[in-house]
Amino acid sequence: MTHLARGALGAALLAFGADAAGAQQLAPSPTLDAIRARGHVECGVHLGLPGFSFANDRGEWTGLDVDFCRAIAAAVLGDANKVRYTPTSVQQRWPVLQSGQVDLLSRNTTITFSRNVTLGVNFQGINFYEGQSFIVRTSSGAKKPADLENASICVAAGSTEERTAADFFRERNIKVTIINFQKNDDAIAAYDAGRCDSYTAGLGALAGQRIKLKTPAEHLIMTETISNDPQGPVTRWGDERWQAVVRWVLNGMIAAEYLGVTSKNVDDMRANSKSAEIRRLLGADGGFGAMLGLSNDWMFNAIKQVGNYGESYERTVGKGSPLGLERGQNQLWTRGGILFTSPFQ
Amino acid sequence: MTAAAIRPVRPSLLRRLRTDYFSTPLDALVSLACIAAIVAIALPLLRWAVINANFSGTTRADCTAGGACWVFIKARFGQFMYGFYPPAERWRVDLAALLLIGTVALSFWRGLPRRALTVPALWAVLLVVDAWLLAGGFGLPRVETRQWGGLMLTVFLSVYAGVLAVPLGILLALGRQSELPVIRLVATIFIEFWRGVPIITVIFLASLLLPLVMPAGWDIDRLVRALVGLAFVIAAYMAEAVRGGLQAMPKGQGEAAAASGLGYWQTTGLIVLPQALRISMPAMTNEFIALVKNTSLVSIVSIFDLLGIAQASLADPNWVGMNMEAYAFSGAVYWLICFGLSRWSRHLETSRKTTH
Repeated sequence: MTHLARGALGAALLAFGADAAGAQQLAPSPTLDAIRARGHVECGVHLGLPGFSFANDRGEWTGLDVDFCRAIAAAVLGDANKVRYTPTSVQQRWPVLQSGQVDLLSRNTTITFSRNVTLGVNFQGINFYEGQSFIVRTSSGAKKPADLENASICVAAGSTEERTAADFFRERNIKVTIINFQKNDDAIAAYDAGRCDSYTAGLGALAGQRIKLKTPAEHLIMTETISNDPQGPVTRWGDERWQAVVRWVLNGMIAAEYLGVTSKNVDDMRANSKSAEIRRLLGADGGFGAMLGLSNDWMFNAIKQVGNYGESYERTVGKGSPLGLERGQNQLWTRGGILFTSPFQ
Repeated sequence: MTAAAIRPVRPSLLRRLRTDYFSTPLDALVSLACIAAIVAIALPLLRWAVINANFSGTTRADCTAGGACWVFIKARFGQFMYGFYPPAERWRVDLAALLLIGTVALSFWRGLPRRALTVPALWAVLLVVDAWLLAGGFGLPRVETRQWGGLMLTVFLSVYAGVLAVPLGILLALGRQSELPVIRLVATIFIEFWRGVPIITVIFLASLLLPLVMPAGWDIDRLVRALVGLAFVIAAYMAEAVRGGLQAMPKGQGEAAAASGLGYWQTTGLIVLPQALRISMPAMTNEFIALVKNTSLVSIVSIFDLLGIAQASLADPNWVGMNMEAYAFSGAVYWLICFGLSRWSRHLETSRKTTH
């Protein structure tokens, strides 16, 4: 082989290598292609959970989990309304995702090892730190679970909540009286009637229950939790680029709150912000959207149309909603919570 | 006019009350206890549902009287009736319902010529036209089945599953009576399989398993999957109802028809079936009423029929806790439908009493 031929071969190989690198940068994404072809995102949501996923009087789906579907649609298609919802029950959620009927699940699903590993699904981050907590009367003065010394707690007999609460107090040598009821509804009714000082359940459930009490304003939901049930959006295995889109839209919503970008100031921020990270997030610099195969204003659209994480939280489950949940753990890591995002670099 | 003449003189109400309910001290005691029980149940119910109920307003804040908050039903009425069907297109549902009522009326109108042919044809046309009206296409904007819901979906499932189940059920019943072993075996296996599986299982399998085993790209609408599952189960039950009618027929009918030279289809179509169906009518109506209530099982696979939409609306934080209202309302609607159907079938039975 002559030097010349060798050089030509080398150049060809080099060109091929560059091509392969380019192709790797934009790996094929059947899911994104399918979304673009049909013109909407297929999102699996809870069939009815106050604050997280429900249809309002006008028949529009709303809630924290629904907002995330909307943000994905805004990022991918430029329009938050281009989502079709598939309401799913607990049993339905996995088959619906696995069989490809939905592009993602955004549906109060706790991230666990066995789900991740055995069901062939990936969790793309945490959009709600759920955990078991307590509701007490404001007048009791109790602010955290450890304050419940000598209190009586209503629970449904044999429930996970009963076991978790009993373990928690036993391990810390805190004396409480646990009062068992047949059903959750009975336990909460007994609490409302004053038969116990507290009732325990997950944060989201407690928020829904509080509205049903006679005078919701007189009750406090503790922000400290005694169990760890992080929840977030889920995708199928395969199609790495689509998984990255889901993961980074969630990160982007949290980053926007951290960086002070809101749906109100996002135009101004994109035009005038000096912060390099904000400019990359909003597509003014860096071309991050293009690296995912999206338009560079992907996060700009999501934030403009849906809002940053904090805006979405307050509107759906927080102070701006009937549920009135505190941020608690779902506050940014810089403000006393554990909500975290990776940097846009 | 003669009926009035021979009707026995009815004793006065007061007198009947006395003789029927208070003739002995024990009777009186039992009657009083029953009255007390009825009052104890009915009064609080009445107080909750009517006297202290809230009817006007638009939000839960308007419900201050302590009783039922019917404002909730009012705010959600459109959803309870049509689900998420786009409001601008709801006239199509209304029109489809009118066509359905018209078809039912025509089917039972004796003046219709050649009823044995025209009635099935009418229904076939109705199923096609209504499906087009509801789903759209061919000139009408498409409305996806996931937007269907509420009472409209309950009626849709009942009518379509019921109407598909009748011919299938008749064929199965005839098949089970067939003298050809293969047909008999197939019909028997089909009937026993679908009768032996709980409807919940059928709906679960249709909604969860089917999409997993179907080749990629094949996608049958999930409402259609549930509908077909329901129709198969009901067809199996209908088949047994029809078989009851077939077996109640005196053997001489078929034999006489055969002796006069009629073939199998003529004997069946002209002589046996018309009489057998008349006999099985009450049992078939029964199956249909059961079907109307069984359609509510689709709510477990997140198809929002009347019950499903009632439950789903409880998740709206603005209306959380309206369980009593939601269930009372949907229960009342189901009851109205089923009670209406059963009265109507009684009327049919008495109005067409025949002997052979």
